[in-house]
Amino acid sequence: MAIPLGDWVLALDGSTLPDKALIGGKAWSIARMGALGLRVPPAFVITTRACAHYLHEGSEPASLAREIAAGIAWLEQQTGRRFGAGPSPLLVSVRSGAPISMPGMMDTVLNLGITDETEAQLAAECGDAGFARDTHRRFLDLYAHIVLKSEAALAVDGHPADWRNAIAAGAGESVPDAVEEQLARAVHAVFESWNSRRARRYREHHDIPHDLGTAVAVQAMVFGNMDENSGTGVLFSRNPLSGEPTPYGEYLPRAQGEDIVSGKHTPQPLEALRTHLPDVHQELLTAASLLEDAGGDVQDIEFTLEKGILYLLQTRAAKRAPRAAVKIAVDMVAEGKIDPSEALARVSSEQIRTLLSPQLASGAAQGAEIVARGEAASPGVGTGVVVLDSDEVERRAANGEAVVLARATTSPNDLHGMIAARAILTEQGGSTSHAAVVGRALGRPCVVGCGAGSLGALAGETVTVDGQNGIVYRGALDVVTPHENDDAALRQIAAWAAHQSTVLVTTAQSNGASIRFDENIEQTEALIAALEPGATVEGALFANDDKAVRAVIAAGAATIVTSPALPALLAAAQAAGRE
Amino acid sequence: MIGTVMSPSHLVLHGLAIKKHADAGDIAGLIGLAADDTARRLDDAVASGRAVQVNGKYLLTPLARIALESDYSRHYADIREDADFFAAYEAFERINVQLKALITDWQTMDVGGQRVANDHSNSAHDAKVIDRLGELHERADAILGKLAAGLPRLDYYRRNLLVALEKAEDGAIEWVSDAKIESYHTLWFELHEDLLRIVGRERAE
Repeated sequence: MAIPLGDWVLALDGSTLPDKALIGGKAWSIARMGALGLRVPPAFVITTRACAHYLHEGSEPASLAREIAAGIAWLEQQTGRRFGAGPSPLLVSVRSGAPISMPGMMDTVLNLGITDETEAQLAAECGDAGFARDTHRRFLDLYAHIVLKSEAALAVDGHPADWRNAIAAGAGESVPDAVEEQLARAVHAVFESWNSRRARRYREHHDIPHDLGTAVAVQAMVFGNMDENSGTGVLFSRNPLSGEPTPYGEYLPRAQGEDIVSGKHTPQPLEALRTHLPDVHQELLTAASLLEDAGGDVQDIEFTLEKGILYLLQTRAAKRAPRAAVKIAVDMVAEGKIDPSEALARVSSEQIRTLLSPQLASGAAQGAEIVARGEAASPGVGTGVVVLDSDEVERRAANGEAVVLARATTSPNDLHGMIAARAILTEQGGSTSHAAVVGRALGRPCVVGCGAGSLGALAGETVTVDGQNGIVYRGALDVVTPHENDDAALRQIAAWAAHQSTVLVTTAQSNGASIRFDENIEQTEALIAALEPGATVEGALFANDDKAVRAVIAAGAATIVTSPALPALLAAAQAAGRE
Repeated sequence: MIGTVMSPSHLVLHGLAIKKHADAGDIAGLIGLAADDTARRLDDAVASGRAVQVNGKYLLTPLARIALESDYSRHYADIREDADFFAAYEAFERINVQLKALITDWQTMDVGGQRVANDHSNSAHDAKVIDRLGELHERADAILGKLAAGLPRLDYYRRNLLVALEKAEDGAIEWVSDAKIESYHTLWFELHEDLLRIVGRERAE
C-alpha cells in the first residue's frame, strides 16, 4: 500500500498499487507509473471514501484537514519546496478522479499555492517574471471558473489585485488568501462535482452506483522553464501518423506544457533532446517502451524536464491516423503483444473507409495549375464545375452533374447546396467557420479562406479540390480509389475479420435471391424486420453504415454483399468479437 | 415579456427560413404552434406562392424570403430595444466562438502535432469533448434562459439542445454535430440564425 497518512489520505510513493476504486483513475495512473519505477511528480490522493463521507454526512471527515496537511508536508519533503512560502514555492495541481471516468466531474486546478509573495519568489527562481505572473493569472482564472463557478475575464496584461477584485465582483465571494483554504475549497469542489447533473445522469444511464465517490489527486507541479536543462514535450512510443515502430515526439526547451498546446512556440523534434541531454533521451525511450508494454498499446506520454531531471506527467493510449491504426494493429500481433481479435477491435470501419476513399493519383498534381489555395478544412478529393449559388448546385446535381459549391461564406441557407456538392470552397473564414464545420460533418472535401474575390472568376470551370492540402486545381485531375486487396496490412485485417465474423461479407454478387437495400433505402427498417434466417442482403448501405451491418446480422442474415467489403466485414467481426 | 411578436402566418415563414426542407411537424415545434395549424398555414403559403412543397418538405420561395427579411425590423422593433435581451444576445455571440472551436475539436483531432479528421476511434478523446460540451451547455443554458424570458418561443432551442446533449452523453455521438439531424450543432446554428434575424445582424465568419 502507498503510505497512509491517516484514514482518508494516501501518499503515492510508488511502493505498491492501491485499488482504483479507492484512489480513482487519475491517482491510479500516477501510482502505476511510480510502481513501474518511473519518476512522476510527487502526489498524494484523498480517497473516494472521504468523498463518500462528505456527501453522506454533509461535511468532511474530522481528521481530513490534518491528513491533507500531512500530504502537503510529504510533498514539501519530496520536492524540497514549501507550500505558500519561499524561497522555492511548492505549487500543486488538484484533479478529480472517479474510479470510472464520467462527464461532469471537476476540471483540473493548476498552480495552486501561488500568491503575490510566491509569485515573486518563483520569478526570481526561474528568472522569468512574465512566466510567474502568467502562472498567477492561470491559477486565478481556473479557481474562479472551476471552484467559484464564475465567468471571469482576466486581462492578460493585468495585475493580480485587479484580477482578484474582478473575481470577487463577479462571483460574489473572494479567492481566499490562505493557500490551505484554497486547497480545501478545491477539494470540496471536486467532491461536489460528483453530484453534478451530468455525472448523476451518466451514472444512472450506465448503472454506476451513486455512492462510489470520486478521489482527489494533489500533485506537485514541476517546471520546464527553470534553466537550459529544463523543458517539456510529448513522446509517442510509435509514430501515430505513419504507424512506424519508432518513437516520435516533440520537445520544447525552457517551456511549460501549455506552451506546446498554445502553438506560440515551435517545438523541436525529439532528436534535439538526444543531442542536448543523451542520458535523459535514453531514459525517456526506455520509459516509453515500458509503458507501451504495460499498457499493451501505443502510448502518448507527456513529460517535463526540471533542471535535468525527467518527470512523466501523463500517459494514455495514443490517438492515431487511419494508416497508423492499421499498421500498429498488424505489427503488434506480429510482435506477440496482442491477439488478432484485439487488433480488429483497434481498427474502426471509419478508418478503413478513409483509407479506401478516392485520392489524387500519384503525380496527378504535378504540372497542374493551382487556381486557389486556402485552409484545408475537410479532407478528400472532389471534382466538379464551380457554381456560386446553392439552389443552382442542388438543381444541377439533381440532374447528375458534378458540381463544386463556391461561396464568399456559407450559412444554414446553403445546407442543401453543400449536401449536393462534390466539394465546398469559401473565400472567407477559417477552420471553425460554418463551411468547415458542416463540410466535415457531411464528409465533403472543403477548402476555406481562399481570399476575398478569389472564387467568382472560377464559375463554370471544372476544378479538382484537394481538401487534405487546401489546394484547388484547374481541370479534372486523375483520381484513384485504393483497393482493399492492394495493401498487405489491409489483407491481413480482412483475413482475421473473415475468420472472426459469423457471416460472409463479399463483393461478389450472389446468384440466388438477395434482398436489395439501395433501391429501397427508405424502407430499411421494414426490410430488416422482414429478414429470414440465412438471408443474403445487398447494398452500398452496408459499406457505409456499421449499424445497418449489425442490424442485419442480428436479424439473421448470413451473407452481406457490398463493395468495398472490408468496412462491413470489420463491423461484422467486431460484432462477433463483442459477444 | 416584450410587446411585438410575429403573427402566426409570419412565424410559419420564419420557421421555414430557419429550418430548410423541413416538414410541418418540425416547423410547428420550432415556432411553438400546433401541428395541424402549422400544416394548414404552410398549405396556405404554398397556395399563395410564398412556399413550395416537395415530398412533404417545404421551402420558401425567393420572393417570400426577401419579403420576410425586410419585415423583421417591424416585427422585432421592441425586442431590439430591450437591453436585457440584447445583453444576452451578445453573451451568446461570445460563447458561440467557444462552441465553434469545440465542434472543430470534435471533428478533428491532434495526432502527433497534425490535425486529422476525428474518425471517432479514440473514445477518450470523444468523451472529453462531450464533457466539455456539457460544461459549455450549462453556461449557454443560463444565457438561453434570459433570451427566452424576452421571447418565449426561443425556449424550443433550450429544451432541444439539452435533448441532443443527453443523447450524445448516452453514447449516440452523432447528436453532437451531424448536419442531417437536429444535432446539438444543427440546433445551435438554427438558434444563431434565428437570433441574427431577431436582432438584425449579419453573420460574421
